[in-house]
This record gives sequence, structure tokens and C-alpha cells, in this order.
Amino acid sequence: MIEKIHALWPEITLFAAACVVMVVGLSRNVQVRRLCVPVCFIALVAAGVLAWFTTPMSAAAMAHLPQYGKTLAAFVGALLLLLLVGTPDREYEDDVARGRAAFEPIRGTRGEFYAFYLFSITGLMLCAGADDLIWLFLALELTSLPTYIMVAISTGRNRSMEAGVKYFFLGALGAATFLFGFALIYGATGSTKYTAIAEALQAQYQAGPLNAIAVAGVVLAVLGIGFKIAAVPMHFYTADVYQGASAPVSAMLAFVPKAAGFFALLGLLSCVGWFRATEPNTSLPEPIHEVLWFMAVLTMTVGNVLAVMQNSVKRILAYSSIAHSGYMLVGLIAGPGLQKDSFTHNGLAAVLFYLLVYGVSNIGAFAVLACLERRGRDGQMEEADDIADLRGLCSRRPLLGWIMVISSLGLLGLPPLLGFWGKMPLFTAGVSSGDYLLVVILGLNSAIAAFYYLRLVGVTLLEAPDAPGRGVPVQPGPFPTRVLAGVASVAGIIMLSFIPLTNQAQRAGIYNRDPIIKRSAEPAQPAVPKPEV
Amino acid sequence: MTPTMIPTLANTDIASYLLILILIGGAISFAVINLGASYLLGPRRQGQTKGITYESGMNPVGTARKRFNVRFYLIAMVFLVFDIEIIFLYPWAVTFSNVDHTMTDALTWLGRILFFILTTIVAYVYGMRKGVFKFD
Amino acid sequence: MLLALILIPLITAALVPLASRRHVRWVALLGTLAPVGLVITLLAQYDWTNPPSQTLAMSADWYPDLGVNLRLNIDGLSFALVALTALLGPICVIGSFTAIKERVRTYYGWLLVLQAAMTGVFLARDAILFYVFFEFTLVPMYVLISLFGSTNRKAAATKFFLYTFTGSIIALAGIVYVAWWNATQPGGFGAWTFEFNSLIAASQKMPLETQQWVFLALLCGFAVKVPLFPLHTWLPLAHTEAPTAGSVILAGVLLKLGTYAILVIAIPFAPQAAITFAPLIATLSLIGIVAIGLVCWVQTDVKKLVAYSSVSHLGFCMLGMFAFNHAGLQGSILYMINHGLSTGALFLMIGMMYERYHTRSMHEVGGLAAKMPIWATFMVFFSMSSVGLPGLNGFISEFLCVMGAFTAGDNWSAGRAATAGSLGPTYAVIAGTGMIIAAIYILYLVGKVCFGPLREPAGHGHHGHGHGHDAHGDDHLPADLTAREIGILVPLAVLCVALGFYPKPLMQVVEPTVRDTARLIQDTRAKMPEYDLSPMPRVTPKAASAPEARP
Repeated sequence: MIEKIHALWPEITLFAAACVVMVVGLSRNVQVRRLCVPVCFIALVAAGVLAWFTTPMSAAAMAHLPQYGKTLAAFVGALLLLLLVGTPDREYEDDVARGRAAFEPIRGTRGEFYAFYLFSITGLMLCAGADDLIWLFLALELTSLPTYIMVAISTGRNRSMEAGVKYFFLGALGAATFLFGFALIYGATGSTKYTAIAEALQAQYQAGPLNAIAVAGVVLAVLGIGFKIAAVPMHFYTADVYQGASAPVSAMLAFVPKAAGFFALLGLLSCVGWFRATEPNTSLPEPIHEVLWFMAVLTMTVGNVLAVMQNSVKRILAYSSIAHSGYMLVGLIAGPGLQKDSFTHNGLAAVLFYLLVYGVSNIGAFAVLACLERRGRDGQMEEADDIADLRGLCSRRPLLGWIMVISSLGLLGLPPLLGFWGKMPLFTAGVSSGDYLLVVILGLNSAIAAFYYLRLVGVTLLEAPDAPGRGVPVQPGPFPTRVLAGVASVAGIIMLSFIPLTNQAQRAGIYNRDPIIKRSAEPAQPAVPKPEV
Repeated sequence: MTPTMIPTLANTDIASYLLILILIGGAISFAVINLGASYLLGPRRQGQTKGITYESGMNPVGTARKRFNVRFYLIAMVFLVFDIEIIFLYPWAVTFSNVDHTMTDALTWLGRILFFILTTIVAYVYGMRKGVFKFD
Repeated sequence: MLLALILIPLITAALVPLASRRHVRWVALLGTLAPVGLVITLLAQYDWTNPPSQTLAMSADWYPDLGVNLRLNIDGLSFALVALTALLGPICVIGSFTAIKERVRTYYGWLLVLQAAMTGVFLARDAILFYVFFEFTLVPMYVLISLFGSTNRKAAATKFFLYTFTGSIIALAGIVYVAWWNATQPGGFGAWTFEFNSLIAASQKMPLETQQWVFLALLCGFAVKVPLFPLHTWLPLAHTEAPTAGSVILAGVLLKLGTYAILVIAIPFAPQAAITFAPLIATLSLIGIVAIGLVCWVQTDVKKLVAYSSVSHLGFCMLGMFAFNHAGLQGSILYMINHGLSTGALFLMIGMMYERYHTRSMHEVGGLAAKMPIWATFMVFFSMSSVGLPGLNGFISEFLCVMGAFTAGDNWSAGRAATAGSLGPTYAVIAGTGMIIAAIYILYLVGKVCFGPLREPAGHGHHGHGHGHDAHGDDHLPADLTAREIGILVPLAVLCVALGFYPKPLMQVVEPTVRDTARLIQDTRAKMPEYDLSPMPRVTPKAASAPEARP
């Protein structure tokens, strides 16, 4: 038990900070209320440092995943915080500052907003460190539950409320699905611990095909977690929710639950193991592989094709986030490969690296949206959303415009920007696993993605600005931090393109298959791929 | 650990779910039979008296769609939260007496419940600052 | 040194936004002249018939976990193409002095970025680095077309981008596959690397079927750029809509990226597949040569005509390359350079005409020899160069390509594996028809535009007063060419004549590449004696004296 506490210092830090922020945000003194953001930021930085230096190796098959996952969560979390600053209570605080309203704690939501954000990041870290299904379930829910509320309170508009409710109900459906899956896995293996599940499944695997209940459990769990990563067929909420929430919160939704879902999938699938006996012998067992394969293909294709048809930037980014999940599923399907220390063969490392790439690139695009507003139908100013709001941004606001251009091209994966280096390992891992069809589909999907990312670039960079009042910078000139988040994202895109951080992802992606190979030595299954003839 | 040592459903056949299936079947048929029987056998009457809220009692006064102060809900929620948190203390208290007090385990156990109480206190402070307990 | 060739334009591009509007073009000119200086230094310093293999090479880790390396090197072929790129750089900048009036910083900045990316493609010796540069040419070109093009520019730019991007991603999959093979399969390097030589060495051991898939994947990416016949539809649009400098670079260098990539990547990565696909590709090239030639004939838009003629010309280039013999390969490479010079110059000429008349329609302008004698002279000159008048540069390359196709195939070398190709006289004859068609449409163009009665667009004054809305564009342009315009045409013309009369230095410079490729194909062919895809009737050695066709 004590050892577990030792593994949880970053989470404890964030949790304590969340408690503090929750109370501080209700202070009548505006100076104290303003402390929320610095406290959050310090906590995230501290958690990142703690995560890097104190996280022990896990006993599960991916020993270094917790360290990488938690540090990644803290790093991207800090970037996201820069973007989230000023989202809650903007108009209300403005009124208070001008003396138009008195501060009432019951109306303020600032403390809750930041506290929930920290809770969500805590949940994400717990997902990365999970070694037990119950822990995993609680962690996934801790990641998601705060986001439902953050969506609802992110703007004062009904649309956010609607989005929050929609998100909540569909989220509950997803949670129920994977919880049922976990229950079946427990039923089939007799344990909720990763290591015990892996052993039990291996034993079954040696004896013959996997137990049907275990297979059903894993498939249900994968489908349920598919909600978190916005994979087809659990993707329906994505566009509506992203559009309803304010842009910073959408940016958060695009990363935090997705990362949590992928950590969960990595943990779960590493229990199942990538060693189908048939050629190529590095894939998941029979139906699970096929389910994931179709999920990946559908997710990529549906996401990209629907994104082409959108006119709202947030919806474009929402569908593209679906597509990016599909790309990452390719890495999961490819599995760890046979060469233990090779980054190029390891699909799991590719997924982990892609999470970093996506987390960094994504913030830029949303930051630009968060910095712009337009006059809505009701005459009020609202967040910019239509693609026309970006028109000519490069000449009107060069900084914002270029952030949009570079992050779009980065997400598209145009070499030499970061997105390309994210996709390359997926390509190499996919080719290594022998699934050429999937790699070609991945390539074609990247080409479809060019349609809409190019549209974003074209509108921003090339068109002349038109009617005034569309996509003007947010007026109470507030959020240098949002611009800062965008600048940081672009700096990240460019720096990481030339300073590879792949070795950390590679270390985290190492999948320990030794005990299993030892056991499977007796049945005559070749462990090296036969050279193709 | 060999597979046989794990006492799981995996070792039994999927047929052992048969009992559950029978139970589910029983539950469904119970509902269906009851509803069907009352539909087939029961008498049916419509009318003013039949339709009122309390069929055999006093006549309702005014509309039921009355507004309640939102504070009632807040109070109810706060009550639920704290009530359940306090209930968690009971099993701890019962078990704690069995823990070997010389072991460091005991400290861990104490630490856990203190942490739990701490979260409750934070929640309490939060509720107070938020003004949940204020009536005016 | 090699890095400087790439970095100088790139750094200048970064400086361009800081310069004042009036000085931008001079900064850009400096940024493009510096690489010319470097190229001249290189030319003076080394003997390019026997180029230094290691002294100039550089390599540095980029993404070591992926095996990607910043590996640059230069050989004769690269040097020739880099020189062409460097030469066209200042010409494009000077050629745009009067044509581009708005957003000049954006324009010159992207032009310089484009220059850097193209140079990078020719210098890269790492497949991923090559791919990075190859892809990165898209962005500047996209911006140039869609900001500075004519009416339908958006659609043209998007089509251009999407076509090429889609193709090259499939090509990337092919490259990754070869790298995987190299890393894991017996006989490979054993670790992930994208170095050309290592990949080429490994890919020789791939079985035929695998090679065929790899070749098709690579062709997806590169044939779009060439463009090979059914994939050419983006080109006329992009050319027509692009600004003059854009067209010059597009025709002069960008299309060569495709042929260069096929020559140094696609063929060496999958030589067996290249041999088996040669008849197919040659047939497509022939369709391109003849059918697109006929399409040229019916064009009324001058620029479109020249754009379509590029498709037709590059068909010759591909035909020569897939003849796989010495003459064909030599001709193919010469064609890359010569086409860059003469078609680039033609686009410049048309740009100059457009600046004065704001139309490209043959119905609206004609007989300009009377009005612009210098322009007409150059026009005739470059048209003749393009059509392959003996004595000018086009002739020698076209002749070599066709001769290569003619002599390829076993039947004329009497069963010896001396020439490995599977083409033959039929191909050459059809290509010859294409040459005649080319002569027809180019002469038709020259006749319409330069000679005959003078026709000028309605509302065009005696000189220099264009339509109201863009009158500012031409009011200080005299009727005929200015010294600046002549200044950029003369070097091109000199080179055309020089390469026409004395192409030997250039041929010697590219000789190693030609020799290596020919030998590679020959060796590969020797290893697959049972394979015969030649649609040509084979003539046995005995029957060679009295040729008769066997069905």
C-alpha cells in the first residue's frame, strides 16, 4: 500500500491543489480569486517534475508507461491551462470589476472550473498508472466526469448546456459498456489485476482459443473506451460537444479523454498480448484484432470524410480529432513488434509519441479560435466558429493567422512539421506488422485530410478579409495567455520537428513479452517472421 | 500459477451461465405473466373518480406544479453527500479494532481515514464558502 | 557548401518580410544570385566528369530513432539539376519585377522557399529527407498559384496540391516498405535507415512481385509530378493559372522532380519491376506524346498550349528513360535540362506578352512581329529550341530519347543482353509521329502569334495602355522588350545554342549516373532471363539477317 502511495505523488499534488483552488475560487476578494490559475499552474509543473522523477516502474507489461504518461499529462496539461485561462465567469467577473454586480459565491464558477480541470488531469495520470481494472474504471471516470461539467459551464449559452447534457448521457453509456466489459473480463480470468489477467489469458491461450467471455469482455471494453477516444461507432457526440463548448474546453476534450482512453487501451490490450500464433505473429487474438481493425478504418475514414463537409472550424477539428484517433489505432493494431528496442517496429511507442504530437499541435488551432470572436445572430459577441471568421487572418492578425497556418499544416502532417514525424512511426510500425492495406488506408486518409486542413490554411493565409465584425480578436483584450498557448504550440511543433523526443516514447512503449515467449517455446510457433518468398 | 488454480468461470463451461439465464427468464416471465393476467382477467372501468390522484381519499387542492426554493435541493444533496461519507466511517471503525496495533499497517489505516475525513472537511468548507448553508 | 545552397534562399526568405517594399526584390535577387555564385564555384573547383563522392557529402542525425538522417551529397546529375534550379532562380525574380505589384514580400519570400526546397530534393541522399523536400515544394507553389494566379487560381492550386500530396503519401508507404525490408529481411542492412545506397542494395533482393508493388507505389507519387499521361490533368490548370515565375519554375524544375525521382529512386529501388513495367510506361508516354500533342493543336490559350506541350515533352523523357540503354538514359537526362531551359523561356515570353496585353488568347493577339520584333525573335528561337530544331538543344535530347527507344530490346542486339530494355522500333516510330505533331502545334502557335496581320485586344492603345482596372501594371512597359527582359532571356538563349552545338560536357557530367543505371538494369535483366514481357516480336540471332516477325 505504501508503495502505491509512492507512485502517486503527482496525483496527490494535483488533488491537493484542486482542493485549494476549489475554496480559493469562492473568495470575495478578487485578488485571492485570481490565485486560482497560478496555483493550478504551479501544481501542474510540480506534478510534472514529480512524475518524471518519482514514478517507479510498473509491474505490468509496459513498465515505463506510467512515467511517460504522467509527465505527458502534466506537460500538455500546463499548455492547456494557458489556453483555459479566463474561460469561466468572463462576463460575470467583468461585471463585478465594473461594479455592475456584487460577487456571490453561488454564481461564481471559477473555482470549480479549475478544480475540475485538475481533477481531470489527475484522472488522466491515474489512467497512465493503472494496474487494476477497478482502478482503471475509477480513473477513467475521474477523467470524464469533470469534463461534462466543464463543457456545460464553459459559456453562458444554452448550447453549452445542451452539449454538456449530451456528453454526459453518451458518456454514461460508454462507461456502462466498458464497465460491463471489465466485469466479463473479471468473470473470465478471476482477477482485476493486469498481471493476473495477463497470466490467466496466456494460460487460456496456451490451451486453445481464448474464452468467449474474455473475448466478449475485451471487445466491450474496447468499444466502451472508444467513447473516450471518439472512435467510431462511439463518436456521435464529438462534433456537437466540441461545437457547444468554448474553444479552450474543446481543446481539452480533444486531448485529455483521448489520452486517457489510449492509456486504458494500452493497459488492457497489453494484458491480452500481441501474439497471435498465425502469420504475422504479432497481432492481437482473433476477433479482437478484427474489431480494432474495422474500428480503425471506419474511424479514420468517417472522421476525415465528415470533416471535409463541415463549415464550422470547431466541427472540422472535432472530426479531425476522430480521424487522429483512427491513426493511433493503427499503432495499437501493429503492436509492439518483435524487436524489443526498436522505435520503428513498435506501434505502441508510435501511439505514445503521437499523443505528444497531437497534444502539442492541436492546442494551436484551438487557441486561435479562442482568441477570436464575432457578432452572433442575437447581436451578442460570441466565439468565432465559422470558417469565414478566419478569412484573411494572416493579414489582419499575422500572429494568430500564422499560428493557425502552422498548426493546421502540422496536424495535416506536412513534412517537415511535427505531424509528419508523428505519422512516420505509425507507417513504419504498420509496415513492420505486415498490414499493408491498413497502411495504405492510413495514407489515403492523410490525403483526404489535406482537403480540409488546406481549406483552413487557404482561408487564413490567402483570402482577403471581408466584412468587419467577423472573427475579430476578443475585445476585453484579455488573454495574452491564450496567444501564449498558441505560440507555445507552434514553438513545440517546430522544435519537436528538429529535436526528436522519440526515445522517451520508445522507452515507454517497450512491451515486455519475455515471460510469454518462455511459455510458448514448447508449441512450435516460430517467433521470428519467416522471410517472404 | 497453473490455470486450474484460478477458480474462475473460465474453467467452468459457459453452460454454467444457464442458471442465470433461467433466472432472467423467470424474472421476465413473472412480469409478463402478471401484466398479461391482469390485462386478461381484471375488470376495467373508466371515469372521473377512477382518474383522480387519490382514488380513495381526499380531493387534491391546487396544482402540484409548485415551485420549491432551489435551496431544498442543495440541502438534500449536501445531506446525501455527508450522510454517505459518514456511513463509510462505520465499517472502518469496526475493522480497525481488529488491526494489529503494533504494526505500521495500523498507521496506514489511520492515515487513510484521516485523509478521507480531510476530503470531507474540504467539501464542507467548500459548501460553506459557496453559501449552501445560508438561508436568507 | 551543399547546406549553404539550401540555407541561403531559406534565410533570405526569412529576411524578406523585414525588407522595405522597394528593396524586397533586390534582397530576393541577392538570395537567388548567391546560389548561382556557389554553383559557379563548385563548377570551377571540381571536375564534374569525375565528381568527388565524399568531399562535399554531409550527414547529421535528424530523427535517429526512425533512422532518418540529414544526408546530402552531390553527383553529376544532381549538379546539373541544381545548376538549372539556381539559374532559373534569379531569372524568375527579375522576370517578376514588373508583373508582381502587390504583396511583394509574400511573393518573393515564398519564391525563395520554393528554391530552397527544390535544391534540397536534388541534394538529398536520404529517402525521407528527399520526401520532406519533395513535399515541401507544394506549400510555396500552392501559395504562389493561389495568391498570384489568374481567375481560376484557387481551384488550380488546390488540385495541384491534392494530386501531388495523395500520390506522394503512397510513395512514402513504398519507401517505408523498402526500409523495412532493408532493416529486417535477410541480406538487408539490419537496422532502419533511409540512405539511398543501402536501400538500393537491399531492394535488389526483393522478389519480383514485391518489387512490382513497391514500384507501383513509388510511381503513384512520382508519375503525378512528371506528369505521366492519365495523371496529368492538374498540370494545364496549374500552369495556366500560375504567375509567370510560377510557371517557369513549374515547367523548369518541379516537373523534373518527378523524372529525377523515378530515375534515382523508383528504378533503382525496384529494377526488376521497372523492366517488367517498361512497356506499360512507355505506352503511357506515347499516349501522352501523341494524344496530348493533338490536344495542344486545338488550344487557343497560348499558355495552355505550352503547358500541354510539357506533358507531351516529358513523355519523350520517360520514353528514353525506360528504354534503359545508354542513349535513352542520356537523352532523358539531357531532356530534363533542355526542357527546363526552353519551356521555361517560353513561359517567360508568354508572361511578357501577357503583361502588355492582358490576354493569352490567340484570337485576340497576333502578328506581334510587327509590333515587338525582339520579342518575336526570341519567341521563334525558343519555339525552335522546344520543337527540336537541329543545332539547338531540344534536338539532341529528343533524338537520343527516340534512338534509345529504337535500339532498346533484344532483337537488335541479336540476343545479347547488351541493351536490356524491352522497347523497340515501334515505340520510336510512334514517338517520331509525336515529334511531327509537336512541330505542327508549335509552328501553328508561332505563326498565329508572331506573324500575319497585327491583332491587338480591343481597347489596347498604341502601346502600354491596358484595361482600366490593371492599367497600372503596364504603363511603363514599352511596346517591345526592355533591357531587363532581354537580359534574362539572353543567358537562356546562349545556353540553348551551346547545349545544341556542344552538349558533350553536360553528357560527360551525367555519364556516371547513366552508366550506373544502365548497368544496374543490365545486371538485373541478366538475372531474369526467363522473363520476357517484350511485346515486340523477338528476332532470333539466326533470323537477324533476314528479319521476319513472329507473332
